[in-house]
Amino acid sequence: MLKLLIKKQLFDLNRGFFQDRKTGKLRSRTASITLIVLYALLVVVAIGGIFAYMAYAVCAPLVAANMGWLYFSVMSLMAIALGVFGSVFNTFSGLYQAKDNDLLLSMPIPVRYILVSRLLGVYLMGLMFSALVMVPAVIVYFVTADFRLPAVFGSVILIAAVSVVVLMLSCALGWVVAKINNKLRNKSLITVIVSLAFLGLYYVAYFKANELLQSLIANAATVGSKIKASAYPLYMIGRVGEGDAVSVLVTVAAAAALLAVTYLILSKSFLRIATGGSGAAKRSYKKKSAKAKGVNTALLRREAIHLVSSPVYMLNCSLGTLLIVAAAVAVLIKGAWLSETMTAMLSDFSGYIPLAVCAMLCLLASMNDITAPSVSLEGKSIWLVQSLPVTSWQALRAKLGLHIILTAIPTVICGICTCAVLRMDPATSLLVMIMPLIYIVFYAALGLVINLKMPNLNWTSEVVAVKQSMGVLIALFTGWFYILVLGGGFYLLRNILSANAFLAASAALTAVLSAVIIRWLKTAGSRIFERL
Amino acid sequence: MLNIRNLTKIYGDKKAVDDLSLHIAPGEIYGFIGHNGAGKTTTLKCVVGILQFDRGEIEVNGISVRNDPLSCKKMIAYIPDNPDLYDYMTGIQYLNFIADVFGVGAQERQEKISKYADMFELTGDLGQAISSYSHGMKQKLAIISAWIHDPKLIIMDEPFVGLDPKASHLLKGMMREVCDKGGAIFFSTHVLEVAEKLCDKVAIIKSGKLIRSGTMEDVRGDDSLEEVFLELEGE
Repeated sequence: MLKLLIKKQLFDLNRGFFQDRKTGKLRSRTASITLIVLYALLVVVAIGGIFAYMAYAVCAPLVAANMGWLYFSVMSLMAIALGVFGSVFNTFSGLYQAKDNDLLLSMPIPVRYILVSRLLGVYLMGLMFSALVMVPAVIVYFVTADFRLPAVFGSVILIAAVSVVVLMLSCALGWVVAKINNKLRNKSLITVIVSLAFLGLYYVAYFKANELLQSLIANAATVGSKIKASAYPLYMIGRVGEGDAVSVLVTVAAAAALLAVTYLILSKSFLRIATGGSGAAKRSYKKKSAKAKGVNTALLRREAIHLVSSPVYMLNCSLGTLLIVAAAVAVLIKGAWLSETMTAMLSDFSGYIPLAVCAMLCLLASMNDITAPSVSLEGKSIWLVQSLPVTSWQALRAKLGLHIILTAIPTVICGICTCAVLRMDPATSLLVMIMPLIYIVFYAALGLVINLKMPNLNWTSEVVAVKQSMGVLIALFTGWFYILVLGGGFYLLRNILSANAFLAASAALTAVLSAVIIRWLKTAGSRIFERL
Repeated sequence: MLNIRNLTKIYGDKKAVDDLSLHIAPGEIYGFIGHNGAGKTTTLKCVVGILQFDRGEIEVNGISVRNDPLSCKKMIAYIPDNPDLYDYMTGIQYLNFIADVFGVGAQERQEKISKYADMFELTGDLGQAISSYSHGMKQKLAIISAWIHDPKLIIMDEPFVGLDPKASHLLKGMMREVCDKGGAIFFSTHVLEVAEKLCDKVAIIKSGKLIRSGTMEDVRGDDSLEEVFLELEGE
């Protein structure tokens, strides 16, 4: 029974690899393997590469100082932070809000089996995120320091132990979210605020990472002795990576105990939370006058309501809005520093500053990928928009509209702040602003195209459509890749075109591409949407 | 009001609906019965423009669903068998959304929401998220949204499933009222007693083919609808 549930859970999590979402037919073994390899390459190369770079910067100096354990401690902390950050939003939905909870609970299946299969899903998600740090860290250690059997064995144990800690912390936070969800009104808002606070901490740590790592290398001995004195378990974890037998044994025992405690606590509350309705007092509706709106406004509002009512969707796909505003504020506060730094960095290429600003704005804008899962998120209620007297293009346009509004407005604000701080002339400022705005349209339309081509309407949790979607990932990386290609294009054409001319040409090219994509959305894309 | 001619819908190599023809006149309540998988839902989805069909023609008030789906949809309200509504909206947000899409004025929608929500005792719950509604409450909300824009043709797939007896009674009254005003209703049901009492005409579908249709008297003769249905199913 448990095996069957686990198989179902794994299939749910990875269905896209094994089943064609459109036809429902199983893919061939070769197609599945190819997809998995491509996905792994995409994730490992793009994200794992960043952490490999960080690991490489820290490993050699610490190992040389005979403090390899500190290297593993630091990388483990990073992995735990990324793992918890990556899987915490999934935990609540995956554990307590799966749409088939009622169905499974009505069957003669022991509740503990359901819980174990759900936990496995959460565990795998945490493992995936933590492995993005740990696997490069371990490989870097093997290459730089030690590739003997104890270190290899210890590294494997360390990766497993870190994933257990991630599971425990994710479950604890998921439990808090569940409690909030069951007890409070405006739960989406509260969940988002709590998550944002958490995210804020994460980004502060991320942006300070380089500084912290440099400081760590410079003060390795002091930091090491402090950790030994006040955070001994962290020292033990570090020693596991080096293959220390005692540490391995203690850590394995501690991880097993953590796993057992997590399971015991969750098993006490799982049924109550998963089946409990809202504990919040019901607010009776009082009749109010309503304002009539036009069809397009109504469709746009529908998209906005969906976004703000779903913490998973909002936090994963529209966080860029807040980050761009934060960037604008940061530019205003640190304007002088930004100006000096950019001038110093591009001292011989001062003409390139507009390009750098433009690339930064585009990258910030690409943090919003609202359209990328928006078709999938229609889910089983897609019949509604298909049966209403609206064209498919109107429905798709509303999705584009929300993305563009929520991204373009803060981008314009950030662009104005940056251009003012860097004292750019009006013509350059205009070019610097126009290119990101066109890019936003391009990126929004691209996300929609990819989602129309790779829709998943049969999810049991929105997390599947938002976070576990190959389409979202492809949209994200294609957007970044496009900026990279433009950067490469400028490098090749730098002797022919000035920065401003290149910006104008890039804007024109992106506008043409956007027009082509939008044309496709109006015609073929609309037909696909009608037939979903 | 609704004219279906030689409708054929094929999934892969299976004919879900095979050369089906039906005519529903204004003022008629038309029941659609058949076993599970007979092609009822597919037919209804073709009528409301959710599914594209392979052959045949569907006209609503003389307008082709294939050629001018939007004009047809403006005259139709559809209630599916499983009311998967927008869980992320509250009941009132959903009703306002539907009213906006159909261009119902503020005053008119307010009166209708007030009237039907009170009738179905749903007013107090309109501020709650639809995700917190029971199946029956979702069904009531779907009914209110269908009636909010005065449709000429109402298509319903198993509309009585999940409704309490009072709500079922109210719905039957509302259906009759629509038809008395010149509208038409085409609905599928497995509850043959309801079909027998409520419908002016009935159609029986089996494996995608229409095997009998007409007035209730023509179809059942001296037998009960259940006896006729079971006899036809057994053939």
